[in-house]
Amino acid sequence: MGFSDIIWMGLIIVGALYLLYRSVWKKKGHCAGCSSSSCDMGKKSNAKGC
Amino acid sequence: MSSQMTDDRVQTEKGAGFQLQTPNSALRTITIAVAGNPNSGKSTLINAIAGTRLQVGNWPGVTVEKKEAMFEYEGTRIKLVDLPGVYSLSPYTQEEIITRDYLVHERPDVIIDVVDATNLERNLYLTVQLLELELPVVMALNIFDEAEKKGHKIDTKAMEETLGVKVVPTTATRKNGLHDLLKAVVNIVDSPSSPYPKKLNYGEDIESATRTVGKQIQSAYPSLAEKYPLRWLSFKLMEQDEHVQRELLISGDLQIEDAVQHLKKAHEEDVESIMADARYAQAAGLTREVLKRPELRKMEITEKIDRLALNRFLGIPLFLAAMWFVFKLTFDVSKPLADWMNAATTGPFKRWAEALVGLVHAPAWMSSLVTDGVIAGVGSVLVFVPVIFAMMFFITFLEGSGYMARAAFVMDRAMHAIGLHGKSFIPMLLGFGCNVPAIYATRTLENPRDKALTALLVPLMSCGARLPVYVVFIGAFFPSHAGMVLWSLYVMGIALAIVMGLIFKRTLFRGEAPMFIMELPPYRMPSFKSLMIHTWEKGKHFLIKAGTYILAVSILVWFLLNLPWGVENKKDSYLGQVGQAAAPMLKPLGFGNWEAASSLMAGVIAKEIVVGTMGEIYVKKSEEGKKEQQPAFTDDLKELGTSFASAVRDSTKNVLSTVAITSLSAEQDEKRAGLKTALQGVFTPLTAYAFITFVLLYMPCVVVAIAMRQEFGTWKWFGIAFAYQTALAWLAAFVIYQGGRLLGIGG
Repeated sequence: MGFSDIIWMGLIIVGALYLLYRSVWKKKGHCAGCSSSSCDMGKKSNAKGC
Repeated sequence: MSSQMTDDRVQTEKGAGFQLQTPNSALRTITIAVAGNPNSGKSTLINAIAGTRLQVGNWPGVTVEKKEAMFEYEGTRIKLVDLPGVYSLSPYTQEEIITRDYLVHERPDVIIDVVDATNLERNLYLTVQLLELELPVVMALNIFDEAEKKGHKIDTKAMEETLGVKVVPTTATRKNGLHDLLKAVVNIVDSPSSPYPKKLNYGEDIESATRTVGKQIQSAYPSLAEKYPLRWLSFKLMEQDEHVQRELLISGDLQIEDAVQHLKKAHEEDVESIMADARYAQAAGLTREVLKRPELRKMEITEKIDRLALNRFLGIPLFLAAMWFVFKLTFDVSKPLADWMNAATTGPFKRWAEALVGLVHAPAWMSSLVTDGVIAGVGSVLVFVPVIFAMMFFITFLEGSGYMARAAFVMDRAMHAIGLHGKSFIPMLLGFGCNVPAIYATRTLENPRDKALTALLVPLMSCGARLPVYVVFIGAFFPSHAGMVLWSLYVMGIALAIVMGLIFKRTLFRGEAPMFIMELPPYRMPSFKSLMIHTWEKGKHFLIKAGTYILAVSILVWFLLNLPWGVENKKDSYLGQVGQAAAPMLKPLGFGNWEAASSLMAGVIAKEIVVGTMGEIYVKKSEEGKKEQQPAFTDDLKELGTSFASAVRDSTKNVLSTVAITSLSAEQDEKRAGLKTALQGVFTPLTAYAFITFVLLYMPCVVVAIAMRQEFGTWKWFGIAFAYQTALAWLAAFVIYQGGRLLGIGG
């Protein structure tokens, strides 16, 4: 395994972790399962948007 | 409370609909509060007028918070405020407090009172209370078409004269009467001589006491008497409304005791009951005056069905039977499509991904990451998308038809046993789709105690994310009893929720459940379009999850299965080592292997990931050494097309016949020797059932945890849920496995 492989692996792992952080934590518990009509993710979230 | 639906778009009329326009700040603005009973069509009315997409359902309690929409009508900017549906303005529920506080403190220019014309008397009870607020009221006599169909004749003129309000028949679903309604509203604001609501006479006893109390308020609190409607304030003080007393800082020095005592003695009841009787008498009297029903009323279809659905003895068995039928149908419809998805994922899609990776000359490890990580992980979950959508479709159908409201009603008695009421069952039913919106739905409940207890029980409702795990195990071990096994899991979730509720009632949440009043909407055949929209709304987040955190976890799991680099046996990988450390705890449950332990740990992110991780762990192992001749791309496409057509045909056949699916699946199973075959080598039917029970019950997923934190502002409730669910899951799986062995079922 070369140096470039290690860099690639590092990037992929960081990317996956960021995706996880963004989709799970950053949305503060909102999920796309909430009805789009009353779930406004664009607004500053105070947990009442869903 | 901040409004959630503030929409600063301005809209103008255009034919039957409305068109978006930029806001014009030079226009005058009038504020209209839309109030009414639950399920009277308030949200539908606002959607029809302003074009917003407020959530609508045949299901009381859809609007929990007040929501606002802005639009323009004949040179006037109108702000519509959609208030939560309430039956009265007593401060007992969150919805009643929000509605009353808004009307009393914000004093909108006009109230549109949405009255369900098919259920006049009950709706007029709220109207009577709205009139007490001495604000201009326009009544939207909604669902007027259904009332006419039933042969109800409502004398709107007489109603206007009696109440002193403008009455406009409307049918919001067809956008009928909306222009007249808006015109009436604007007229009231424009002309100062418009009739104000009449003061309804509640009888001499009450009126005399009210006058006495009013005088006391005027002399002791002149500023309050100016700010609030005096008559309403007098009623509230006589009723000893603590909310009003506390909020308006009215101390006990007000000399109203004589008047109140006199009233109590005269009626031998507390003042609140006396006032409620007086208001009901007004609503009933007015209904008698203005409503003419056909003499010989045939029993309506809703009543006929309800005789069975709400029957004391048959109600719960019928609910269980309905759920069983939903699961059976879900399996029958989705199985051929899920098989097709599986064949496509493990066959052509995998081959194409391998070819694509080969084209860019990616290193061998990256090729393995794509095929054994992403395709095996995400693909294992995507296979169950047809199952999830089928389940959501049938649940949406039950909701839209009005049956789910009955389910909550028949569960009321069982819920009372655990200190809750049937209304708490609604968030639980929502939990069958996804636990996250179910946690948010607990805010419809009256008090924090009910909210917290319901939120603790919601994760026991089996959400759609757990379905892929059940399906893969049921397919491998119980193919001939698929519907029954799946049904048993859902029923187990409900039964354990009741047991846990009983325990919590005696420990954390002592006290009695409040009264349960719930609207039972008429049965309606939901439109196909609405079914599809709501099924999509419910199911789409499983697709989004597949592309976000299931993808992310699949990648991370692949690394954990292949690190330290060059590891020969997955058992020695980081994930394998963690799994081995945790496995002894699962040994008494019959699945004390590192694969199961690792999958369960990964499943904490989302329950479907249990299957994804197993896909990564097992599938490669079972496919090692297989070297088949690669078919051409066009052959793959052709095969995909023909097999899809055949899957659709089989699904349709299954719906029509609802016969067992074993014959169909047996043929398919030979082709898909992947995960199922691997599982058959590791689990037995007994350990498989113990495992899926564990998946049903063990800790809520991370997103539910965050939702709980957001809704309650503390990690406390999630902590309790985490602790009790993990213990419960372990205990239940232990009892099943060890009990099964004792009974000689095998293990």
